[in-house]
Amino acid sequence: MSLNKHRWRQILLLLIIMSLLTGCWDSREIEKRATILAIGIDNAEHNAKNEEDEVNHLKGANQIPNERMIELTVQMAIPGRIPLGPQIGAGDKSPVLVIQAVGHTIEDALLNIQQEVATEIFLGHLRLIILNEEVARAGVGRFTDYLRRNPQIRRTASLVISKEKASEYMNIKPELERVPSLYLAEMVDSLVQLGKFPPTFIGMFWSILSSKGQEPYLPYFKIKGKANIQINGLAYFKGDKMVGKTKPLQIGGFMAGIGAEKGGYALFIKIPDLEQAVLVRAVERKTRVKASMKNGKPHILLKVRYECEIEEVESVNPSNIKAEDLQILEKNFSSEATRALETLIVETQEVKSDIFGFGEHFRAKLPNYWNNQVKTKENWQDIYQNLAYDVEIKTKIRRTGMKAK
Amino acid sequence: MEDPKEVTTVQAATTLISTIIGVGVLPLPLFAVRAGDTGAPFITLLGIGIAAFGLFVVTKLGLRHSDKTIITYSEDILGKWLGRFFSLFVIVFFSILTALAAREFGAVVITAVLLETPLEVTVIVMLLLAAISARNTMNTFAYIHNFYIPIILAPVLIIVALSLKNANFLYVRPFISSGLHDSFFGALTIAALFQGSFIMTLIIPSMKNPKSAMKAGWWAIFISGGLYLLLVLATVAIFGAEEIKRLYWPTLELARTTSLPGNILQRLDVIFISVWVIAVFTTIFASYFLTIHSVKQLFRLQDHKMLAYFMLPFIFILAMLPQNIVQLYDVIKIAGRAGLIVTILYPMLLYIIDAMKSKRRKKGESKQA
Repeated sequence: MSLNKHRWRQILLLLIIMSLLTGCWDSREIEKRATILAIGIDNAEHNAKNEEDEVNHLKGANQIPNERMIELTVQMAIPGRIPLGPQIGAGDKSPVLVIQAVGHTIEDALLNIQQEVATEIFLGHLRLIILNEEVARAGVGRFTDYLRRNPQIRRTASLVISKEKASEYMNIKPELERVPSLYLAEMVDSLVQLGKFPPTFIGMFWSILSSKGQEPYLPYFKIKGKANIQINGLAYFKGDKMVGKTKPLQIGGFMAGIGAEKGGYALFIKIPDLEQAVLVRAVERKTRVKASMKNGKPHILLKVRYECEIEEVESVNPSNIKAEDLQILEKNFSSEATRALETLIVETQEVKSDIFGFGEHFRAKLPNYWNNQVKTKENWQDIYQNLAYDVEIKTKIRRTGMKAK
Repeated sequence: MEDPKEVTTVQAATTLISTIIGVGVLPLPLFAVRAGDTGAPFITLLGIGIAAFGLFVVTKLGLRHSDKTIITYSEDILGKWLGRFFSLFVIVFFSILTALAAREFGAVVITAVLLETPLEVTVIVMLLLAAISARNTMNTFAYIHNFYIPIILAPVLIIVALSLKNANFLYVRPFISSGLHDSFFGALTIAALFQGSFIMTLIIPSMKNPKSAMKAGWWAIFISGGLYLLLVLATVAIFGAEEIKRLYWPTLELARTTSLPGNILQRLDVIFISVWVIAVFTTIFASYFLTIHSVKQLFRLQDHKMLAYFMLPFIFILAMLPQNIVQLYDVIKIAGRAGLIVTILYPMLLYIIDAMKSKRRKKGESKQA
């Protein structure tokens, strides 16, 4: 009797242990994952439809999207070849594999790639998505759904626009970092830290795209030389379509407009008496935006306060900068910055692209006006085109460096 | 037979807090934004107000009968059969609430974290855990909640604090942007997330000092409400109302957008999910506990331990009924609002009748004298 009881207990214990030791359904060893680090999206050739393999749909199927097909280039990490920490003289084998496929949508193309790769595609480490300018001009809205829906994608991944084909960026081999896509992603992050670009990541792009009173913007990349990449400006959008790009220096003006605190760009200013050009760099700025109604029309007042420092004085003779000279420099810097900002506003007004988010100020601060006369993003785009504005910039130069004379 | 009365005021408050904070944390900003656009924090505040009122009524009522729960004193107030009839509704509602919480948990886990794991497994593991824990006595129950509270609160606060560097406070203005009708129904949906506070009726009879129940209640609403308000404020300020409308679980996205400084962790959703599992557990645990104790009292049973397993299959089947996530959220919305009848209107009714009865009794006594 008691023996029987014991046996019964043993069996129960065994059952419990069995159910507890089953492990994880979702466990997947790291080398069994095809980790994609970066994605580049280009327009596919016009005859891509005919070359497409019948992976996700048969030829002539009538339920496929009508939009132009895309060419997806991915950079995949090769297990064991991604160095952890700095390594000197590591082997010359590339740590990444570049694969290309065409498709109607991102997932369509990814499934085509999956068909060629033995391990399961994993997007949890995706750091960078590069869109070719042509694709961006046709509209990026078609890609956002997949990226939002997929739980693996990080909202902090970077989205950038490229002048050249995005596939070229996937094949580029920068010298400064072993993993090319990590270098590119780091580049976006560190440029933000240096004050060369306002904070940008894909989640922020989506938020601005969804908001009613602002148009999104993205960094614009260009390949320089063999393996260098330059931030060549700021791509601005109207809705989900790219409509133009700025010059690199204008990014500084843009950052003043949206009130990014960190300054990073410098201007040459001449002191008339001395005939010397002085390079004045913005260090910090404070922006106040005042939205109001003037004579029944919306009006924006932008007040920017710059803090600058003198970086370099172009001189052969000893230069002696006096307090009055600083005042002149401050004044000239202000007027130069005002001009730069106003030009950018005019340029974006021409294409109805309110990247500064002035509309958000009206929506937030003058809800009556917004609800009665604006309501939608489209209406605001039309109003922005003729928006009246004033720019007031004040500059203070605090530091002049280590040189006295 | 009765347990010793050992639940302290702090334990009562922490039990309430960890019961309130549950699955609802994830879709909370979405509910608030759907009703109030940029005025989501305001809607949340209204919801907290309604919830506080409900808890106030339940506590007040409990204090008048500080040895009994709503199941037993409703019989005193309404009469035996009517009281039992309404108690049945309480039991059914809390079974549904338990089931829906478990199902919502499962839905989030299989969509966002464990994509290969079957839904049934995540749900049954959670329910089994709740059932095993629910065999404990009231005092252990309070201990368990008390133990988990710092683990639930701290990470959420850290995530909110870290995420605020990307905030744009233009997104939360104007503060009031919806009509009376929308605001009211939105506030009801938010108040429904606080229904766990009904557990108060079970706590009061076990409290060392029942008089301080009201204090515990206010603290619980203040802390859990404050946390909810903070979450709504942070998510709206970071994503904007329009973006939130496109996300099922904005709070989870908030954790995914936030990174620890210095690239130690580039996304905090891993931490958040593990904390959230605990928060969900305490909530399901509490509503499960409430359900079986109510059944026990309704049928005058001696012991609640066997009931814990007996209820399991029923609740599991209830949890499996919704066909997909869209249907699930429709059901949650309806069940939540209908539940307010059980958790706020019904105690209110009891309170009014009870107050009138005792007034009449007093009158009668004074007449006799």
